[in-house]
Amino acid sequence: MSMTFDADCIVIGSGPAGVSVTSPLVQSGLQVLMLDGASDRSATHRGSPEPWQRMLGSELEALLPEDGLSPKLRTPAARQIMDAFQRANDIRGEGFVTIGSLGRGGLSRIWGGFVCEFDAQDIEGWPLSIEDLRRSYRTVTDRMGVSGSSSDEMAAFFGCSGEVLPALPIGPGAAHMLRRYRPGSQGHEFGLGIARNAILTLARDGRNACDLRNQCLWGCDRGAVYDARFDLDQLKRWSTFRLADNARVVRIAQARDGWQVLTEDGRTFAARRIMVAAGFLATAALVIPLLPNLPPELRLLNSPVLAMPLLVPARLGRPEPPKAFSLAQLGYRLQYGPAHLDYVSGAVYEIAGLPGSSFTARLPLGRRAGSAFFGAISSALLVSTGYFPGCESDNRLRWRRAGDAPSIVVHGHVSADLKVKADGVIRRLRKIWRKLGAFALPGAAMAKPGTDVHFGGLFPMGAPGPHGTDEMGEFVATPGIHAVDGSVLPTLPSKYVTLTIMANADRIGRRIAALPRAP
Amino acid sequence: MPRLLLTGASGYIGQRLCTRAAERGWDIVVLGTAPVGGTIGRRFDWRLGEGAPAAAFAGVTAVVHLAHSWKSDGEPRAPFANLNLIGSERLARAALAAGVSRFVFASTTSARPQALNAYGQVKFALEELLRSLPAAADRVACARIGLVYGGPEQGQYGLLSRLVRLSPLLPMVAVERKVQPIHLDEVVAGLLALANGPCAPGGDATTAVSVLAGPVPISFGDWLRILRRAHTGKGLVLLPIPLWVALGACELTRLLPFVPTVDRERILGLAGTSPMESARDLAALGVEVVAPSRRLATSRAARRQMIAEARSMLSYVSGQRIPPRAAIARLVRAFDRSVAQPLWMPRFILNRPWLLRAFEPLRANADHGLAQRLHLSVMVAESIGDGEKPQGAISSLLGLGALEIAMLPFRATLGRIYA
Repeated sequence: MSMTFDADCIVIGSGPAGVSVTSPLVQSGLQVLMLDGASDRSATHRGSPEPWQRMLGSELEALLPEDGLSPKLRTPAARQIMDAFQRANDIRGEGFVTIGSLGRGGLSRIWGGFVCEFDAQDIEGWPLSIEDLRRSYRTVTDRMGVSGSSSDEMAAFFGCSGEVLPALPIGPGAAHMLRRYRPGSQGHEFGLGIARNAILTLARDGRNACDLRNQCLWGCDRGAVYDARFDLDQLKRWSTFRLADNARVVRIAQARDGWQVLTEDGRTFAARRIMVAAGFLATAALVIPLLPNLPPELRLLNSPVLAMPLLVPARLGRPEPPKAFSLAQLGYRLQYGPAHLDYVSGAVYEIAGLPGSSFTARLPLGRRAGSAFFGAISSALLVSTGYFPGCESDNRLRWRRAGDAPSIVVHGHVSADLKVKADGVIRRLRKIWRKLGAFALPGAAMAKPGTDVHFGGLFPMGAPGPHGTDEMGEFVATPGIHAVDGSVLPTLPSKYVTLTIMANADRIGRRIAALPRAP
Repeated sequence: MPRLLLTGASGYIGQRLCTRAAERGWDIVVLGTAPVGGTIGRRFDWRLGEGAPAAAFAGVTAVVHLAHSWKSDGEPRAPFANLNLIGSERLARAALAAGVSRFVFASTTSARPQALNAYGQVKFALEELLRSLPAAADRVACARIGLVYGGPEQGQYGLLSRLVRLSPLLPMVAVERKVQPIHLDEVVAGLLALANGPCAPGGDATTAVSVLAGPVPISFGDWLRILRRAHTGKGLVLLPIPLWVALGACELTRLLPFVPTVDRERILGLAGTSPMESARDLAALGVEVVAPSRRLATSRAARRQMIAEARSMLSYVSGQRIPPRAAIARLVRAFDRSVAQPLWMPRFILNRPWLLRAFEPLRANADHGLAQRLHLSVMVAESIGDGEKPQGAISSLLGLGALEIAMLPFRATLGRIYA
């Protein structure tokens, strides 16, 4: 006599990975129960009426002292989502910013929107084929709605598995740089093109096309920028899908023939398979207590990120454009070493739409003069980001048992020679940007590890040992428990990682849907 | 319901203890003569030295003994002669015999055998006496209380509060002495924790003494300055005077008509304090001590100052002479939550916001007091209107640039003042 199950699969988390793994499962007729730590009610802050409410939050939750976080993580919505995560989990960082989300839609509500496919060489050593992954890239891309260029120099680098909607008009500073760029003129190590963003430029599924109202950072009230809540709305139409609100999972335990999850408010749910998509660090907190013989210290990959302020003198004194968007304008790549993964990729952003406070804090000027100066030159300011591959990080996740949930500390470090490599990349980029009419301002710096999320490599697919998972993200030691978010990516190339997390979750969902059913 | 017997319930600490204990579900019995406000169960007529009626101890789980006779401090300190010694011993014996499980005695951080003032000597003698009583082990707890502030302006706190209001110039003894201010509510929480739990939670079980005093000693002079800021919003200049001059002046106040008499004991009490380690005891009792400057920031003077600073800083960073009231209110709320206290910049500067640029540090780190506040001000300024940045004309930019260069030497030096 087996116990009664609430569903065939339980999915923990409503973020990009959670909705992506669920989609193929419900479509195949499997019963799926999604447990979400929040509810629709908690998802407010989609465009508030007053400017100050939008920028500072109606409870002033974003009006906080300077803390070095990137502007997109300092908005009211971001503060709200990340604070809830911090309160709920015993996860600390030492030299590492621990970011997670406890809110409907997960971190996709505050992401940068850049999407990029991994290629065959990027996934070398992964226990799966590029064709299999590409099929999922197509599914996910078509669902999200992605715009950019499908024909310029970077198009192949960003991948073309799915449909690419027409690009948005880019800002004047970025356009100035792109006009001066001739493909190949900066050597074959460098490439530059229109950014690939998850922004709709054609309306669909109840979402509007971007109309350049420049509110990307504060939560697009037209629904043009993708977030996982749109997919959740689609999933709710399936009779095979159920969603439990405010069900923050605190523990997973073995049950007869399957697994049982316990929520914070004392509810229990059971299923044969548990898909953990709680978002990297929260997934770690749930899975770690289940794994036998797990060493007290695990490796954790994260992309070290470099930010570089740029000035385009030709734009000085020109007015800011009345219509704009503040996500990535351009995308680039730069090979810096002999191995395939030795490249930096990143984006160029226009500063005009961003709040000046985070920039004036770093200027060596008084605040009044700094604000006035910033106001005068902001239309000529850009910033380029650059991600190094995850192998350049050297982070350690240490855990110990403390009641039901483990106590986790993440120690952030970078590889010994990253400084030298970063200096080389900065020099090279300076030269390139200068040729394109943008001058690097002083203040280029590596951000603190963890700041830009980009996590991976904690429970690598294909790795042996108690922390390893198979190609379905299923732990060898605990069959039936799958990790399906960024924690299972075996390596972390420099590219933006969200699309691959979603595609990999979709792929895992498809694989499980295709397994022979239990009678 | 646990029952608490109190003496000294009408005093500065006693009144607050009554209210808080009642809130936490204690049933309260008071021994004394003065009527007590609040929700007390029963009051029995009693004076220090008298025997307490047996009915008063019925069902009592803990006694907190706060009553003290200031008049009799001058009496000989031998047992059987001093009223405080006789009365307290009598009460403790009766309580222990009646089976109370805890007898909490309010002592002082100046309790030591060679204390300058009689009060410290008497309290010390009492600690020794009470702990040596039969069956006192694990039942008698002594709380050495520091310089208490907050709440109604009574007791030592009332005296100092009146003093700092008198004038911006104050002759004072012992300005370098370290004192350990602790808020009234924190003392009360500590006393209740002692009435509820083990006798010496943090300290040595054999001594059964806990220290309820601010964990970070500050000089008495600084303490007076903090009090004057809180009460009047103004600064204070202290004239240190030698002890003998002060004692002479005390004698004078006694002789002169129409001048309030200053007690020689109080002066000696101040001159005789020396800091005691308290952090461990406070932690063991679960008492969280908030820095006094933070607590006193809620005073009216501090509020006014905070608003004036917010207005001035907002005006400075935005270039608007009169910033919108709502924006000022938002900035004050942000100050409350992050820095929680004013910088106490003088009105001369605040009324001329353009002067603020001279006090900005050259290199702004995140902890610099003024830089931190100006950062919040910029965020608020940006949220006025639709996130528009001030578009400076090139000429005004040049002016600002020149001003900026002229300010460099000032910022290098003055930048340290409001760190």
